[in-house]
Amino acid sequence: MKTVELGEPQSLPVNKENMISMPLGLLGFEQVKKYVLLVTPEEEPFLWLQMLDNPNQGFVVIAPSAAVPNYAPNIADADIEFLNIKSPTDALILNIATVRNGQATVNLKGPIVINRNTLVGKQCIPTNVAEFALQHPINPIPVAA
Amino acid sequence: MLVLSRKVNENIVIDGRIVVKIVRTDGNFVKLGIEAPADVPVHRQEIYDEIQKSNQAALTNGKPVASGLPALKVATKTVAQAGQQNKTTGGSP
Repeated sequence: MKTVELGEPQSLPVNKENMISMPLGLLGFEQVKKYVLLVTPEEEPFLWLQMLDNPNQGFVVIAPSAAVPNYAPNIADADIEFLNIKSPTDALILNIATVRNGQATVNLKGPIVINRNTLVGKQCIPTNVAEFALQHPINPIPVAA
Repeated sequence: MLVLSRKVNENIVIDGRIVVKIVRTDGNFVKLGIEAPADVPVHRQEIYDEIQKSNQAALTNGKPVASGLPALKVATKTVAQAGQQNKTTGGSP
């Protein structure tokens, strides 16, 4: 299957609200199609993907480069077309983190791929999904003094 | 649901472009070969179920505050920092 390799996350306007449209929702949340991506500097590398219509609910997400080295999901042609991604730099990849008691894991099997230009996103299943963990541990590092 | 009986090495064709072949059977184990165009994603059902469960477990009530998040040594860059770098680099490292 032909796939396109996507680059590292790059720019997205930060410190302001970014509305992300997900026409298919997230798996298990198909009915929720509008999100706001909030970036707070002191919480980085974590970002907050909040449901637009339900501001109390959302997901902690993280740019995979901050969680795991050399993450290279192959995004299927169908998803590339769906998102109208013309070049790797069009794509912003975010992965959903599960945070419990200060410990975090990140889901590498179902990255959210967002077209930076249209701000349309989709939770994609990479064609090389078998290489990735569903609960990849993110190791907390003691904050240096 | 359409239910078809097939023998080993027989095919089912879906939409004139997806071919599902019964490769081998062994007890209740069936090996399938699937030929589909690149624009047709094919995954085991379990993958969808796993990601769905993971999403449900990740759902968070209320925006977390920094103190509730693990302190990470940010590998090299954050989304914000990355935005200040060369935008023309594409592809995988």
